[in-house]
Amino acid sequence: MHTVLIIDDSEINLTLIKALVLKLGECSPVLFDNPLKALEWCRENEPDLVIVDYMMPEMDGLRFISAFRALHGRDEIPVLMITANDQKDIRYEALLGGANDFLTKPIDRVEFSVRARNMLSLRTGQKFLADRAKHLEKLVDERTSDIREREKELIFRMSRAAEFRDPETGAHIQRMANYSQIIARGLDLGPTTEKLILEAAPMHDVGKIGIPDYILLKPGKLTLEEFEVMKGHARLGYELLKDSGSEILCAGAEVALSHHEKFDGSGYPQGLKGSQIPLFGRIVAVADVFDALTSERPYKRAWSLDDACSFLEEGRGKHFDPMCVEAFLAGWEDVLEVRQRFRDEEIPQI
Amino acid sequence: MAGPFVLDRVSILDRLGGDEEIYSMMVDMFLDDVDANSVALANAFASGKAAELQREAHTVKGLLATFSDDDGAAEAQEVEKKAKAGELDRLDDAVGNLQRRLHEVANALRAG
Repeated sequence: MHTVLIIDDSEINLTLIKALVLKLGECSPVLFDNPLKALEWCRENEPDLVIVDYMMPEMDGLRFISAFRALHGRDEIPVLMITANDQKDIRYEALLGGANDFLTKPIDRVEFSVRARNMLSLRTGQKFLADRAKHLEKLVDERTSDIREREKELIFRMSRAAEFRDPETGAHIQRMANYSQIIARGLDLGPTTEKLILEAAPMHDVGKIGIPDYILLKPGKLTLEEFEVMKGHARLGYELLKDSGSEILCAGAEVALSHHEKFDGSGYPQGLKGSQIPLFGRIVAVADVFDALTSERPYKRAWSLDDACSFLEEGRGKHFDPMCVEAFLAGWEDVLEVRQRFRDEEIPQI
Repeated sequence: MAGPFVLDRVSILDRLGGDEEIYSMMVDMFLDDVDANSVALANAFASGKAAELQREAHTVKGLLATFSDDDGAAEAQEVEKKAKAGELDRLDDAVGNLQRRLHEVANALRAG
C-alpha cells in the first residue's frame, strides 16, 4: 500500500485528486489543505508520493518542496507539483527545486494516472534497492560475525594447546583474560578495546609451544640456562602471531611479547620501562600474575586473595603499572565474580 | 468579454477518464462552493490586497478550467496577471464578470 500525500488549499481539488488516487489502487491518500500542517506530518511520517499544488496562501508549492526535501530522509521521495497551464516558469523552477514531475490544471485523469504511477514505480524501485542493501548488509554482518566467532574459537583452542603442555589450566586462560578486561574497563579504554583484550589475552603464553618438555614440565627450579630458554616463549609467541591480518592476532602478538616486561625495566625480553611497554602487556602482566598466585599448582599452594593483593600493591611502579593495579583493585567485585565463574575443577566451555 | 458558457459534458468526462462518479462529485462541490468562491473574489478585490486577489482569481481559473470553460478561465487568468502586477485599477468590470461567469457555469451544471 502506497501512502500518497496530497496538499492543496482548494477543497474541490483535494477531493478530485483523492478520488483519482483511490482509482490507482493500492494507495492510501492523506489530505492537507494547509502546507505547514502537511510539513509537520512529514516530520513523523514518510509518504511514498507527494502531490502538491503550487499556489497556496500559507506557503507556496516551491517553498513546501524545498522544506520537505530538507527533512531527513525525504530527499528521494517523488514529488509531483500541480501548476496551471500558463505557469511554465514555475514548472521549471519546481523541477530545479526538487519536484520530480508536474501536473497541469485542469487535471486530466489519464495524464494524472500515468505520472502518478511512474512516480510510485520509482518509489517501489527505491524501496527495493534500500531493502536489498539492508538485506546484504545484514548478510555481511552475519557472515563477518561467523568468521569472527570461528577466529575466536581457533585462538582459544590454540591457546589451550599451549596450556595443555603446561600445568596451568584452561580456566586460567579464561580468568586472566577476564581480569584483563576488568582492568581495561577500569582504565576507560572503551567497549571495543575491552573486547579486544579479552580475546587477545589468552594468547599470552602461546609461545610455550616451542619450549622443550624437559624445561616446561620440569618439576624443580630451572637452572639459569633453562630459564633463559623459558624466557624465549615471549618472543616465540610474538613470532607465531605477528604480521597477521587479524586485529586479535596482532594484539595477541603484542601481549605475548610484552607480558613479562616489568614497569621498572627489569623484565624481559626487551627490558622495556614504563610507558615503553605496550598497554596490553602492562594489563596482562597484572592479570596473569594475580591468577598464577591465587591458583593451586602441583608445585605450590594457592596464595590467599589478601596476600595476592598485597603482592600487587607492593609491585606498583616496580613490576606493575600502578594505574593497572588500581584499575584491577577498583573492579574487585567483578574479579571475585570471574573467579567464581571459571573454577579450575570445571571444564571450561569452548 | 467571454462568449456564453456551453457545458461540454463529453470533454469534461473525457478528462476525468469517463468517470461519472468523479464528475458528479466535482459538480456537487462546485455548486456547494460557488457562492463562497464568488464572495471571496469580490472581497479580495474590495480589500485592495493584490496578492489576495491574485490567489482568488487563480482559484476561480482552476474551477472554471475544471469544467472546460476556456474563455472563463482566460478571463480569470487576466485578472490574476494584473493582480500579480499590482494593477488593481479598472478591474471592477473584470471581477464582476468573473462572478457572473461562476454563476453562469453553476446554472449550466444544475441544468446538467
